[in-house]
Amino acid sequence: MIRKTGIQDFTKPGGQVAELEPADWMKLPAPYDQMDKPLKKLTEDQRKRMDATLDGVVAIGILPPSMPEEEKAFVDRFLAGVEKLFDAKDNWTFLQPLYHSLEYCVKCQICSDACPAYVASGRQDIYRPTMRPELLRRIISTYVKKEHPLLRKFKASNIELNAQALIRLAELAYRCTLCRRCAQVCLLGCDNALISREIRKIFSQQMGIAPKEVHEKGSVQQIKVGSSTGMTPPALADILEFTEEEIAEKTGKKIKIPVDKKGSDILLLHNAGEFLAWPENLEAFAILFDAAGIDWTLSSELVGYDAVNYGVWYDDVQFARVALRHAQAAKNLGVKRISLGECGHAHKAMIVVADRVLTGELNIPRESALPLMEKIVMSGRIKLDPGRNNFPVTLHDPCNMVRLMGIVEPQRRILRKIAPQFREMTPHGVENYCCGGGSGFAIIQSNNFPDWRSSVSGRMKLKQTLDAFADAPSADVKKYVCAPCSNCKGQYRELFNTYGVWEKSGIFYGGLVELIVNAMADLKQPFIQWEWH
Amino acid sequence: MGTLLIVLTYIAYVFIVAVYAIKVRKWLKLPVHIRWDLYPVIHEEQYRYGGSYYEKPEWWTQPRPKNTGRSLWHALKDNFYMGEYFKRNPLYWLFLLPWHLGFIFIILFHITCFFAATAMVGGVTIASDSPQLLGQIFYGILMAFAVIAFIGGTFGCIGMPVIKLADRGLRSYAMPMNYFNYFFFLIVYASGLYSWLALDPTLAEYRMYWVGLITLTPPDLNPATVFHIILFDIFLIYLPFTRSTHYITRLLAYFKIRWDDEPNFRGSMLEKQLNDLLAQKLSWDAPHILKGQSWVEAAISSGLPETKPETKKD
Repeated sequence: MIRKTGIQDFTKPGGQVAELEPADWMKLPAPYDQMDKPLKKLTEDQRKRMDATLDGVVAIGILPPSMPEEEKAFVDRFLAGVEKLFDAKDNWTFLQPLYHSLEYCVKCQICSDACPAYVASGRQDIYRPTMRPELLRRIISTYVKKEHPLLRKFKASNIELNAQALIRLAELAYRCTLCRRCAQVCLLGCDNALISREIRKIFSQQMGIAPKEVHEKGSVQQIKVGSSTGMTPPALADILEFTEEEIAEKTGKKIKIPVDKKGSDILLLHNAGEFLAWPENLEAFAILFDAAGIDWTLSSELVGYDAVNYGVWYDDVQFARVALRHAQAAKNLGVKRISLGECGHAHKAMIVVADRVLTGELNIPRESALPLMEKIVMSGRIKLDPGRNNFPVTLHDPCNMVRLMGIVEPQRRILRKIAPQFREMTPHGVENYCCGGGSGFAIIQSNNFPDWRSSVSGRMKLKQTLDAFADAPSADVKKYVCAPCSNCKGQYRELFNTYGVWEKSGIFYGGLVELIVNAMADLKQPFIQWEWH
Repeated sequence: MGTLLIVLTYIAYVFIVAVYAIKVRKWLKLPVHIRWDLYPVIHEEQYRYGGSYYEKPEWWTQPRPKNTGRSLWHALKDNFYMGEYFKRNPLYWLFLLPWHLGFIFIILFHITCFFAATAMVGGVTIASDSPQLLGQIFYGILMAFAVIAFIGGTFGCIGMPVIKLADRGLRSYAMPMNYFNYFFFLIVYASGLYSWLALDPTLAEYRMYWVGLITLTPPDLNPATVFHIILFDIFLIYLPFTRSTHYITRLLAYFKIRWDDEPNFRGSMLEKQLNDLLAQKLSWDAPHILKGQSWVEAAISSGLPETKPETKKD
């Protein structure tokens, strides 16, 4: 039974604001309706080291200040950050959309049911998209604008702040995948997802607080050693050698993956996750580009071989640092354009968001690899046999590519041509549901956050995927979810592992380029090997 | 009394226009931001399914046709229809739409009164059986606007608090100001409704009032009409203190944020603006940001602890 939660519950010391019970969660189709377990409880020791009083889940793991003076310093530091959020020098990047959303939201709640996490949780009040902005709005009214108490009463904008309330707010900012479905339905143009991001920004840019997988082991590590995975340039060379051998073994083709080829037409940026977890994606790109005669290269320069830019989720400065290094790698190679592989957030970061950070010679044309793939497929340059993909296929729309960039049809036109049993999810296209691993969630592996991600934020996507294959539920019929995004694939892997989807329903996941290569008529054996990983 | 009414009306109109202008100017003066578009972008060729120019290979070499008229129509029509609400919460929409139509049409009614009064000063008779066609048109429009405003507004003001109290989500985010607004606006609309139904079925008094405003001649009006006009003037003065500017700022948000897909090309005005913004100094306090660095300097630096310059020792 869901306990009703109000804003006032955030500032009450001690107990947990919301309790998550499997009985409340949105129902999944059979046999998955009997599989939910309560989220893993944190140990006593963990509870001492980090505050989990929002919902019993920890994404960041903030140690609460123990002394009153520490608590005051914590709160003061946050408030100084809120002021910077409204400073045109410190936050020109998002000031206008932030100001608009805070000032003009009428809290009509139309966005609530658009949020998959809110609906999947059984409509927990704390996950309403309006909750985070309302808390921030009240903090601004009470502590930044210092509005008169009577006015605050009239506007119900008072809040008694303490460190625990702020820690809960920080955690709450990491319960939104930034999919921006809420913003899409807002008639007033308000964007509550952006406010989640801006709250994350205060904690990161002002207080140095962020989930370690996103900051310390994420963007910091990428800048330091070249990739958020820890992969160094020598390791990259080894992996590419292995990839070439794999290609030869699978296809009999001797393909040399071009690295640091100066003056190439295209610098291809892959998410480094592909090198380590899904090398078949990297192989498929190499096979396709080789067959189509594309003049392309990878970079081995630090940061230049890992397309990820975690800054886009939480920190503008880290974002700018990574974007600049990507552009610099391209400039050093003298390529004509940068093409982004199958990674949604890297698309959004490098093609759209970085567009207003990169100027002059660093403003090198950037595009998605999807239209290029479509051009190759439609050109007839390579012979494709759709019969090789004659199994049920559905398409996941990565939010960053689709709702946030408008790349909707190229991937569909490809699938209609090469996958005879292609079917859409409902809803799809710009109204799609997030995989549940967006905005860094797919990489956060500590404490019990992965439990929450599989049970709550990814729940809607799991249901949608199962529904798309409802006509062929047997595990004997092999089915394929095409997810042209590394982050989304990571989330699918987690979801399917948690619920045993491969074993129970025979649903496999993978990228788009693998399907194209699987349809290549000149390959002796199928490229997709249906080996669960 | 008549003179006071004229003065109050002028103050009310000047006030609302000035404060709205200040608010809109403040919105527009905010710096250019990072692109944060959201699809469908209505001016795009493939807006029906939410496609963008990024669907084309080497998009920067291709034309990017923009249909601004379609965007404007799309944005404006929702002021009168509110389709997302109808789709997602029809019961709420049932009250919300008339509540908003009340606002829009009461203001349109008074603006039309001004033009009708101007025509009257010029010799046009405003009536259903006016010898001039213009007089008949004005009469019809005025009646339609007033009926929608008074009936819609009254219905909305009664229904909104009911739905707000009945729906837990809405109730938990409601503030005393909302309920004050419903009550106050109810009096404004209901007083207009009463004066129209009981005393002035052809709305002739409003036209006399507006002729008085134009000619600076205090009109002789029924007290009930005067009461409504005073309330309406207060309503105009009060509106800028509510979130009502969203009628305008929502359009700005659509065009300047949600649908702002303008790419930054080398040598463009936008690039110049961005270079100025990137030259500004940062003052964030986190360890990975060096205070006082510009955005460009911060981006070039790695922000790693070992690369931070050591503090000079005296």
